Amino acid sequence: MTAEKSRLPSVLVVEDEPLIRMDAVDMIEDAGFKVYEAASADAAIALLEQHSDIGIIFTDIDMPGSMDGLKLAAYVRDRWPPVAIVIASGIVEVGKDTMPEGSIFFAKPYATSHITKALQDIAATMG
Amino acid sequence: MPVATLKDLAKLIERRAGAVVITEEALSGDGADALSEALAVQPSWSDVPFIVLANDAATNRSDIAARRMDALRNAVLLSRPLHAEELIRAVRSALTARGRQHEARKRMEELHLREQQLFESEAKFHAITDSVDQMIWSALPDGYHDYYNHRWYEFTGVPEGSTDGEAWNGMFHKDDQEIAWGLWRHSLKTGEPYEVEYRLRHRSGDYRWVLGRAQPVHNEAGEIVRWYGSCTDIHAIKLAQEQRQLMLAEMNHRVKNTLAMVNVMVSQTLRQADNLHDAQASIQSRIGMMAQAHDRLIQSSWKETRLLEVIEAALAPHRTGEGRFSFSGPDLPIGSKQALALTMALHELATNASKYGALSTKTGNIRITWNVEQSDVDEFQFHWTESNGPKVAQPTRRGFGSRMIEQALAGYFSGKAELNYNSDGLTFSLSAPLSGLTL
Repeated sequence: MTAEKSRLPSVLVVEDEPLIRMDAVDMIEDAGFKVYEAASADAAIALLEQHSDIGIIFTDIDMPGSMDGLKLAAYVRDRWPPVAIVIASGIVEVGKDTMPEGSIFFAKPYATSHITKALQDIAATMG
Repeated sequence: MPVATLKDLAKLIERRAGAVVITEEALSGDGADALSEALAVQPSWSDVPFIVLANDAATNRSDIAARRMDALRNAVLLSRPLHAEELIRAVRSALTARGRQHEARKRMEELHLREQQLFESEAKFHAITDSVDQMIWSALPDGYHDYYNHRWYEFTGVPEGSTDGEAWNGMFHKDDQEIAWGLWRHSLKTGEPYEVEYRLRHRSGDYRWVLGRAQPVHNEAGEIVRWYGSCTDIHAIKLAQEQRQLMLAEMNHRVKNTLAMVNVMVSQTLRQADNLHDAQASIQSRIGMMAQAHDRLIQSSWKETRLLEVIEAALAPHRTGEGRFSFSGPDLPIGSKQALALTMALHELATNASKYGALSTKTGNIRITWNVEQSDVDEFQFHWTESNGPKVAQPTRRGFGSRMIEQALAGYFSGKAELNYNSDGLTFSLSAPLSGLTL
């Protein structure tokens, strides 16, 4: 278990709604990932600066603060290009061009199995 | 028609005789004044032709006789003895001339009638355009605005005539000028009807939404001769529309959020359920509680509600009328997210108390208190204290309720939440900045 966990990249969950964040953390931990959590883009950036093991960021779009999820995604793509980006939002009409290239989008509410599958696929490409 | 006296002749003149044949002697008879009068008051188009049968050669005529002849205005002299053909020709040409006078009269009457109709139609146009609630204007085919009704000046408060030509565009909100100008030019070029919504400067200085429309009027050759346009104040409708859009967007957001919460609650309940039967009961009771919380938020228009109301409503299903609950604290405003989270937390606490805590025995009590601690940053404190119930044991497993309270609730209030499984009774406390209640 420990050996398997160490091979997987860590996931940073960014979600301002506490209950949904709690459930997302549970879901991703259940899939075997180490999880960090942040309630805002600013907190997420601080965590990325401290933890180089974060390989995937799983973020909401609609968040209060200086940056929303889309701005955060663009920032992460720019500053940490290898970090994979997964975006989930209740806003369905998110233009493809507003998301960084290669990022994956899920409409909220999402099915647990879809998210964990996507995360595992990403982890597999990272080796 | 033969007449014997000049008076009778005067009457005939008034009735518009075609031509008069008269002897010179007859001109000196009685009633010369009546005849002059009748001739003088003829309408401008009329000049009755006279054929005078003269007595002598002109050289022998007295001054009086000559003046009498002049007074007829339109007279030819025929010397006697008469040649029949001469007389016939003279009468014929006099009647022809008279006929032309009548044609001129008809033409003048027609023109006058048209003028009258035009005047009436213009008066009608002004009366109509000034009676409607809309602003009405017209423009020449090149787009030059040449008319506005009173309502336009009343609405805009600008001096009459000051918006003629192209000056109207300056009355529009600067963000709307370009689009309105573009559409207007397009209509002028193509002849297509003009329609645009824009903000027009009201005399109060505020901009109000109006609907501008115009249609061209064509002549028989199909050319545009004029544009007629209107502006209708649609400010109230527009605001209501905007409000409805905002409301719908907010509703959509809330519904999505609620479904996400339900999704979390179901998945969390199932993770920790011993069996499906228990899970079903828990899920149904939790969904029922969330529905009630939403009812209250709807009543308070989704923005915020009152703390006392939230607490009373969350505990209502658990109260038995035996006075097991007591609560005291100020009635504070609380935001919709916090209200929903607190409702869920209280529901979990009360459900837990019914199964294992103070409400599971006949003697247990629950005291709920809250207050605002005033300091640099006003702090909100909330306490749930169970007593006189059974001995409390630390649970072996954390269920949705305790995880929700410890991990999520505090997040909604930007504060700290704590559950203590004291052996004499469970306690729960939440402390948060007062601003966290309505964030």
